[in-house]
Amino acid sequence: MNGSRIKVGYGLGRAGALLLAGLLLLLSACGGSSGRASNSPLVVGILAPFTGPDAALGPAYFAACLPAARAINSAGGVLGHPIQCKQFDTRGDPADAVPATRQMIASTPNLMMVIGCTSDEASSVVPILDQSHVPMFCMTGQSEFNKSSFRYFHRLVPPDEYDAYAMVGIAVLLDHYDRIALVFGNDIGSQTFVPPAVAAIKKLGATLTINQALALGQASYRTEVEKLLATNPQVILTEALGSTDATYLAELKQLHGGMIPIIGSSATVDPTWFQAVSAAIGTDALVSSYQANNEPTTFNGPGYQQFKKLLAASASQFASAPKYATHPPTLHLYDGIIMTALAMVAAKSTDRTVYNPWIVKIGNGTAGASVVYTYGDGVKALQNGKAIRFVGAGGPTHFNQWNNSQGGYIVVRYTPTGDTETVGQLTQAQIDHIASEAGV
Amino acid sequence: MHIYLSAFGFGLVSMAVIAIGAVGFTMQFGIANLINLAYGDVMAASAFVAYGINHAGASIWLGLLASVAFGAGISLVLNRALYAPFQRRGTSHLGMVIVALAAALIISNVLLAIVGPDDVSYRMSSGPVIHLGDVVLTSVQVAIIVIAVGVMLGVHLLLTSTRLGKAMRATAADPTLARSCGIPTARVIDAVWLITGALCGLAGTVAAMNSESFAASSGSGYLITILAAAVLGGAGQPYGAMLGAVLIGEATELSAAALSPEYKEVVAFVILVIVMILRPQGLLAKLGVLEAAG
Repeated sequence: MNGSRIKVGYGLGRAGALLLAGLLLLLSACGGSSGRASNSPLVVGILAPFTGPDAALGPAYFAACLPAARAINSAGGVLGHPIQCKQFDTRGDPADAVPATRQMIASTPNLMMVIGCTSDEASSVVPILDQSHVPMFCMTGQSEFNKSSFRYFHRLVPPDEYDAYAMVGIAVLLDHYDRIALVFGNDIGSQTFVPPAVAAIKKLGATLTINQALALGQASYRTEVEKLLATNPQVILTEALGSTDATYLAELKQLHGGMIPIIGSSATVDPTWFQAVSAAIGTDALVSSYQANNEPTTFNGPGYQQFKKLLAASASQFASAPKYATHPPTLHLYDGIIMTALAMVAAKSTDRTVYNPWIVKIGNGTAGASVVYTYGDGVKALQNGKAIRFVGAGGPTHFNQWNNSQGGYIVVRYTPTGDTETVGQLTQAQIDHIASEAGV
Repeated sequence: MHIYLSAFGFGLVSMAVIAIGAVGFTMQFGIANLINLAYGDVMAASAFVAYGINHAGASIWLGLLASVAFGAGISLVLNRALYAPFQRRGTSHLGMVIVALAAALIISNVLLAIVGPDDVSYRMSSGPVIHLGDVVLTSVQVAIIVIAVGVMLGVHLLLTSTRLGKAMRATAADPTLARSCGIPTARVIDAVWLITGALCGLAGTVAAMNSESFAASSGSGYLITILAAAVLGGAGQPYGAMLGAVLIGEATELSAAALSPEYKEVVAFVILVIVMILRPQGLLAKLGVLEAAG
């Protein structure tokens, strides 16, 4: 019996060795991130709210991915791999975002990168993504990411507190108001603005007349509006997304008999916010009373022109895409995807651990780098052995040691058609001055 | 004092909106024996029907009528196609709650797919602002209060002075006995769904008019306050729902005047919890026209 067992074992051993060799061959053909079949698609995960109170955010990021995919795929893909865009809905709630992130990672072995990760969920999902070595371009402005150790985290938008400083800067330094009211939604993303805004108002010598944290999506805010009016503010600083700002400002207009000047955060520079608020208070009232800070994108240059053309073409997949042509988050995330794709080409690898460090090199450039404005030009330059710096639709990137990039603000207002026009500027030096005054 | 009087006035409007919805909701529970978790989403859908009519060029008041008809129709279909078959099979109360939750999710997601996630507003003027001392209301808000008072009176007359109302009360008290007495309970149930569905549609549109801006996702917010008002007053008690609406409507606005606006709903639900502890059957249980079902 032992002999036959040994005989069987020997037989299995030889067959097993053959089987093992076959398996190894199969695995080497199919497995490993740098051994993919050359035409298998790579996925850009859009991890953001597509439903819930912040449902306006996800579509803006989807609108970034579509033209980027077109730019990359029309130039032959990334090392032969086409790009696909896939949405993963976080509902704007960490309780939903964490399972969505884990499901995305588990079900998407060809995940190239992630865009989105807003303030609603970033604290919960960034550690998971970083641990899974997923390069990400996040839209969160939370200060915990100003100097974080997450190597795969990249941010092309300034921290929220800088947004808050810019809003106060517009009110006090540019418009010379000294009685300021704060009206922000009580969600994580909006409330991040409040402490730096309060500190900045105090340090610049202005008066905070009232600070209201609004529960989002309420049917009415008339009592809150009455309380605000009783404090006699000269200007209102606000970010309360969904229907909240629309309802609040409509009731303000009714009870005050007209509008009070409003300064919105950069999140209010959004087609959806414009549509909701202009429908509620009237376009003329919004145009005449509203300003906001926004990232300093010029909306011109070869990178922007290609983005705009491809965005228009993306209307066949997403009808609202062209609305985001002057939406800085869309531009920045488009640039992030192109940068990552060029990083993969430069690193000659689809292994995330290999190409991730190249993202900053492509964004900032290295000594002697040639500036390129499109993915196609970048690939050609890399194939000719040149170092490159990508300057995209949103302008040049200046990553610091924590992979954050920022460069001052512009002041915008809406036109009657919902586009924005620049009416002023706050330099990075002015923002830094406010930040230092506020004690940061 | 000025802010509290203003808040009281705003509370009247909130109360009016909640009352219309809560009375319909509680009648569905009292007579049809169902916690209709899809109620808020039917309200939102009805509001969008009015929106469609309004944005096609018609007055919002015509849209309001259309939303009432829509609410009535969709509620009847919902019961006939979904709820009634499950109830006939003897599905437990918990099972029916799950069915209603499924209906809510289906309606809200279909609505989202049709109208999109954007916030919208009716094309209407709020009318002149009316000052009654420190109470400040627009003419549209006064109209909403008048509509709500009219609806409450109508429900009272229906339940106390009409044959249908008496049949509803009998069906709510004991459906089997009511059938034995020759009351066509199936037709009574249909009438209940039509009437309460109409109230649902009406509530959705006036809520949207009052808030100036609404979206497909507004339904869940409506349901929470309506449920609170209905439970506070006593489940299945229309007069209890009216009282619950007064308490919830005024509590939310007065608390916003006294405290931070973040605590608006907290105060209302703390009141609800306290009442539930002290009087679990609700404020007007067994004093109203309908008794709590099941």
